Amino acid sequence: MANKHANGGGGITRRSLLRGAGALTAAGWVAGFSGGWILRPRGAFAAAPIKFGVATDITGAIAPSGNSNWQVIQLAVKKINDAGGIGGRPIELYLEDTASDPKVAVGNVLKLIQQHKVDVVVGGITSAMREAIKNPIVRRGKTLYLYPQLYEGQECTEHLYCTGPTPAQQCDELIPYLMNTHGKKRFAMPSANYRWPQLLNKYARALIEKNGGEVVFEEYYPLDQLEYSATVAKIKSEGVDCVFNTIIPPGLQAFTKQLYESGFQKDGGAHTCVYFDENSVNYVPERELEGVYTCLDYFHTVDDPVGAQLQKEYAEMFPGTKYLFTAGSAATGAYRAVKFYEAAVKKTGGDLSREAVSAAIDDVAITDVPGGDSRMVPGTGHCALNMYVAQAKGGSYEILSSANMVPPQECG
Amino acid sequence: MTETTANLADDKADGKQRPRLPLSVLPIIEIAMLALLMLYPIFITYLTAEGEALDFNNYFVVRVTSIILLAMLAVSFDLCWGYSGIMSFGQALFFGIGGYFVAKLSEETGMTSMLIIIPAGMLVGLISALLVGWFLLISKRTPTIIFVALGSLTASFAAERLVAGWQWVGAGNGMSIWDFPTLFGTDLEPGIGFYYLAVACLLIAYLASRYLVRSQFGLALAGIRQNEDRLAFLGYRLQAFKLIVFSFAGLIAGWGGAIYAFHEGFVGPATVGVTTSTYAVLYGLFGGVGTLIGPVIGAGVIEGLTVILSDNETLKAYWPIALGAVMLVVVAYQPTGLVGLLVTQRERFGSFGIRKGKKSSGTDDAGKADGHD
Repeated sequence: MANKHANGGGGITRRSLLRGAGALTAAGWVAGFSGGWILRPRGAFAAAPIKFGVATDITGAIAPSGNSNWQVIQLAVKKINDAGGIGGRPIELYLEDTASDPKVAVGNVLKLIQQHKVDVVVGGITSAMREAIKNPIVRRGKTLYLYPQLYEGQECTEHLYCTGPTPAQQCDELIPYLMNTHGKKRFAMPSANYRWPQLLNKYARALIEKNGGEVVFEEYYPLDQLEYSATVAKIKSEGVDCVFNTIIPPGLQAFTKQLYESGFQKDGGAHTCVYFDENSVNYVPERELEGVYTCLDYFHTVDDPVGAQLQKEYAEMFPGTKYLFTAGSAATGAYRAVKFYEAAVKKTGGDLSREAVSAAIDDVAITDVPGGDSRMVPGTGHCALNMYVAQAKGGSYEILSSANMVPPQECG
Repeated sequence: MTETTANLADDKADGKQRPRLPLSVLPIIEIAMLALLMLYPIFITYLTAEGEALDFNNYFVVRVTSIILLAMLAVSFDLCWGYSGIMSFGQALFFGIGGYFVAKLSEETGMTSMLIIIPAGMLVGLISALLVGWFLLISKRTPTIIFVALGSLTASFAAERLVAGWQWVGAGNGMSIWDFPTLFGTDLEPGIGFYYLAVACLLIAYLASRYLVRSQFGLALAGIRQNEDRLAFLGYRLQAFKLIVFSFAGLIAGWGGAIYAFHEGFVGPATVGVTTSTYAVLYGLFGGVGTLIGPVIGAGVIEGLTVILSDNETLKAYWPIALGAVMLVVVAYQPTGLVGLLVTQRERFGSFGIRKGKKSSGTDDAGKADGHD
């Protein structure tokens, strides 16, 4: 209990205060309130801009897909703005990173809705992300939401439109093809443990059993599981001839590696994964992708002049980018979302209120999109798409069969 | 402390002027924080109006409401570590369980009334803390700090893995709460109304905690904090005290978690997991444990920095590193936290001496503790 002034008791001295304050100001963060990425249209426009929100995974496990979405949306919006905008109004883009983490995403999406007050949001890639952000956007934010990715279906929320393929669109072509053309009868379903694989597997199973096949096992793993030796051993020992894979990153890379190293594909086994596309080389080495079957709404090898032209413009706008304009990453869905929105706003004559645009977008068709024309099926919130069954061969995809304007068969 | 009591006794006897006790900074900080929280929405709305119509339900109000609810988690951590020597590294377990419970309840029964959500959150927080505490804290020999820390961390981790694999509560997707909570019939959307409700909840939880730690019970807790063994030799049943505090902390965490789930509209494995638990510890250490208001300030500063830094253009790519650096510096050079810059050690420990103004009669009152001065 000595002299109180000698800082024995832990009071403030000038030194300690400076130290403390210095630490904080060395961090120096008195940044302003506004932020996020904003892309303003170049050039002079007379009318007020349309605010277009993008909430996608720029960082995290799903970043390769998220970044390709963001770049493709920029391309789509640039083309629209270069042509004079929608009814003379330019589009202003606002991006928030959902970081492949639904908990973080909910907060960031709030910024788009409440701070920037966007008129529409395109975004979400995994179903987990969509489930997390659709509430802040659609219900609390009362904003139109366009979801661009292939998914498990059964999303019938009002004012939520899906511009990617549904299970019906993907499986109805792919599974009969594998079973009838390639004689695959014994299926394994290694899956990530969340909504999309669960519902997709249900649909696929019904189709497999209808065609006389058998699901040998259907297992669910945590998203970050890296140990698949038991799974692969079961695949080999049970004589599985087709793996219907719904594992997603970060577990995906470990699974494909272990499957490849077991020699499954070499022995004639078929590996199919409905979200694999040209962008997948950003997740998985090319040799492990070789021979994989998939069914999507667009591939670079599809004979499609619109698609080819867009690829050229994309390469010009983002030279040397590793994020490709592909279908499995939701990029084509994102492009379609922008075009659907444009068509809807043209139809409403510039009225951006959610009710008006939603009513308009419900029954609209678009051309000038990769993969072929598309049309919203009224009352369902989903669109009919051209679907292509393809197989990975040496880095690109060989189209094996195609079907035009396949109906989504959702919410009907 | 005996010095103070002895002085008072002497001075009264001599008729001399009593020495003035140093100014209590803590109540000033508390009142300042309360005023800040009450006035913030009005202040921020005017600041960010930018010529448009005043919108009190703006983004900044909603964002700070989340922070206030996280501050309840921070307070519950402080009750454990700052006052009872329980390093609870899994406090988010109770926070998240509160959230999951009301989310599932809402999903199954459609109930959304705040008058059910709050008690439900409190109850499930209390019960789960009781169970976890029973396992961790009750034993023949008092468990070491590291045992309790790792045990609670494991509980939080296990809960995270459990809900991530359990389809009934949404597995990896978590649970979305579609409806807004209702209060007396009207929808309570995130906004200024919700903000003041959160402030009210934090205030009540804070006052209850403050009352607890400054009572006779709190005196025993102070003893536990300073020298457990000595207190045990004096005949106090330490484990009972610890369990009571732990359960009460769990109650507050569950309460905060239930409201938080309805505010965010989403609860996932991360809410109940290790990351959120670690954040609770960080809020406490950064702000200053042992003061109750410290963790509230810590939560505010850390979450506020998160929002500001992640928006800053130059820092966007590596703002978590910047935040981590700030936290490291504060915790390393200022172990008593931000509040420790202003509050003396003596005030943090508190003195349980004779209440000012009461007549002292020598040895009779010297031993009698009247609560915190």
